[in-house]
Parts: sequence; C-alpha cells; structure tokens
Amino acid sequence: MNIDIVKIFGWFVVLILAQVFVLNHIHLFGVATPLLYIYFVFLFRRNMPQWGSLLWAFIMGLIIDTFSNTPGVSSASLTLIAAVQPFVLRPFVPRDSAEDLQPGVNTLSYVQYLWYAATLTFIYNLVFFSLEMFSFFNILTWLECIGGSTLLTLLLILVIEHVRSRV
Amino acid sequence: MHNLTEFLAKYKHWFLFVLLEVISMVLLFRFNNYQGSVWFTSANIVAGQVYEISSEATSYLTMGKANKELTQRNLLLEQEVKKLNEILYAKTHDAKYKQRGQYRFLSSFKLIDAKVVSNSLDKAENFITINKGSWDGVRKDMGVACGNGVVGVVYLVGIHHSIVIPVLNSKSNISCSLQGRNYFGYLHWKGGAKDVAYLDDVPRHAKFKLGDRVVTSGYSSIFPAGILVGKVKHVYNSEDGLSFRIAVQLSTDFGNLRDVCVIDDASIRQQKQVIDAATDSIKQLGTDYNTTE
Repeated sequence: MNIDIVKIFGWFVVLILAQVFVLNHIHLFGVATPLLYIYFVFLFRRNMPQWGSLLWAFIMGLIIDTFSNTPGVSSASLTLIAAVQPFVLRPFVPRDSAEDLQPGVNTLSYVQYLWYAATLTFIYNLVFFSLEMFSFFNILTWLECIGGSTLLTLLLILVIEHVRSRV
Repeated sequence: MHNLTEFLAKYKHWFLFVLLEVISMVLLFRFNNYQGSVWFTSANIVAGQVYEISSEATSYLTMGKANKELTQRNLLLEQEVKKLNEILYAKTHDAKYKQRGQYRFLSSFKLIDAKVVSNSLDKAENFITINKGSWDGVRKDMGVACGNGVVGVVYLVGIHHSIVIPVLNSKSNISCSLQGRNYFGYLHWKGGAKDVAYLDDVPRHAKFKLGDRVVTSGYSSIFPAGILVGKVKHVYNSEDGLSFRIAVQLSTDFGNLRDVCVIDDASIRQQKQVIDAATDSIKQLGTDYNTTE
C-alpha cells in the first residue's frame, strides 16, 4: 500500500515536470499540444477509493493550471475524468481479473487499452478546450485543437505503455 | 436520519466531485472577470520562482541573438541622437539645452527593470509573467515596454511577480496614434499572426502612408506619448465603413522577449485622477438633470 502511494507520487511529480517544462511548449501545426498529465488518471487502480482519485486529480489539475495560467480549466476537466474513469474502465476489464487491477496493456489487451485510453483522452480534450475557449470561440480551431491534441496525447500514452509493458 | 447519513456516506464521492468542480469553475470565472486572485496563476511566488530558474537557464542559449539585436539598436539610436543633436544645436545654439530638458523628462518617470520569466504566444489569451511585483513598486494598469517597443499592460500583481496582458491578447486595448499626424485609434489583436495587430477607429479623413510609425498616443492613462508600437502595414475599411482599420506591423518581437521595463509615471497617475474626477462629476451632472426633469 505504501509502495503504491510512493509510486503514485512519483508519477505525479514526473508528469507535472514534463508537462510544465517540455510538453506545454509543443504546438504541432499550431493546434496539437500533448496533454500527457492525464496519463496519471489512467493509472488509477480499480479498487482505488473514489474520493482519493478525485482529490489527486483535482490537485494535479490545479498545479498544471497554476503554471499555464488557465485557472480552473484543467482542474475541472481532470476531476471529471477521474470521476468517469471507473465507468469507462468497467466494460474493458476481463471477467476473472484481480480486484486491484491497474489498467495497462499488460492487464488489458492492446485493443481494449486503446479503446479505454482513447475514450478518456477524447472526453478530456473535449471538456478542456471547450472551457479554455470560452471567450474566443471559433468552431474550426476548437475542432482542430481537440482532434490534434487527442491524437498526440494518445500516441504518447501508447508509447509509454508499450515501453512499460516491456520492462 | 439513519437513512440520510447512510445516503450521504454512500454517495460521498459524488458530493466531493461536485464540490471540486464548483471550486474549479469559481477559479475559472474569477480569473476571467475579476482581477482579485493571483494565487493560482504564474504570478504566485512558487510558480514564479520555478519559471525564473528555468528562464535563467534558457536565457544563456539566446544570449547571442539578444546581444546582436541590442548592438544594432544601439547603433541606430546613436546615429539618431547625433543627427538630432546637430539639428537642435543649429536651432538653439545652446549646448546645455538638451540636458535641461532631459532631466525634466526623466524625473517624471520611474522605470522598473524586469525580466520575462514565462511567455505564451499561441493562445487567444496570451500572458507574460515578469519577475517584479508589488514590493518593487509595480501596480495594476502600469505600462510595460521593451527596447523595441510596447509590450503590454500589467494585469495582476503578486508580491514578487506580475502578469502582463501583452498586445497579443484579445483583451488588450492600447490607445495609439500615427506619429507626426496625431490621428489616433485603439490597438487590438485578433489572434493569428504574432507580429500584426489592428488599429481601429482611425477617422476616414486621416492622411497617412504605408510604413508610417505608430506610437502610443498618451491619451490613455497607461503609456506616456511617443513609445514605438510598429509601422503601418496595410489599410482596410472598418466593418461599418465609418473609419479605417490599420494593420500594424509590431516592432516588438514577442517570441524573443527577455528584458522589459515597467513605466511608473507620476504625471500619468495625476492625469488619471483628473479624468476619473471629471467622469464622476459628469455622471453627477447627468443624475442631477434626470432628477430635475
């Protein structure tokens, strides 16, 4: 249990640092920004208490917001993702799996994991960019941002999952 | 009662969820509408420090280009000063004339040097964080400029850091005029290109050429008159056809911004007080008329 908290905290710090110093400065074709920090929520185990995952997600969102001058935007979207994560995960879990299953390409299959990650990433980007563009709405930019960032984020997450499954 | 507590215990995570979402929304709308909170932006101490360290590290990488730019600018200014000196001496035959004027001019300003610690370019609402705050004398609505021209206006002030709304923000609104012609308008940014902004509300009878210099007008209570903004690049008709909209090629390179200064102008503050007093008294006048009618 304690090892688990240390691991979660490790991911928490690493993902925030990567996002703030590297990934926030990437804008592929002016639209696609990888929002890798949502991978943190994907890692939550199946039996993790809901209040715990909500709080972790909210605090992470708040820190990301503080650094990128978007108060409330990612904390709201990340909390939402943490709330729906168990429901998105449920259909993809094999029947005879462990109670504390951690979603990954090892525990689910590649295809199942892809669907799980794609659904969550898409919901996140949809909410995130809708909130961010509140005052400056342009439907084309909105769609481009959602599409571009979803693809790029998903690609990065799959690469990380692939590497982790080999180790 | 027992049922109620059971109900609360069972669904406690949903209450937590709603609570956290409400907090997020409050933060979102407060930041956009009301300038009270600096805590969850990069003007707070911790985030500001972290950005400062990272920007110091990266500043070494761009030092060469910055140096070159400064040297070029210096050369240009030196030539200009020499030329102006000659003209001035020819007119007045008084070698001390300029010095006296300069002291008068400088004593009315205080310039606060600051470094940019974080900067964004690609959003609709870009912000710049600088490493000076209320302890260094920065206050809200002060103007910020760099060696090449206007940068923006101070928006939020923390203890050691502040957030600036640069020209590249849809909320930015700076009063500018065409140098030497004195027609004025308001500078807005419409997203997209990082080096072009639009000067709206220039009257249709205004005469000017492409390439004319656009400077701050000094009518707003933020910038003194005559700070360079850019050059006229293109002219359009406004949507209602009543005025010109001028595309301005900005002289400031927002992608490569490091040293800026905040302009603290005592005379501007006095001017603002007078304007505020005037608007108040006009409002008073209006209500007086309404009551007598």
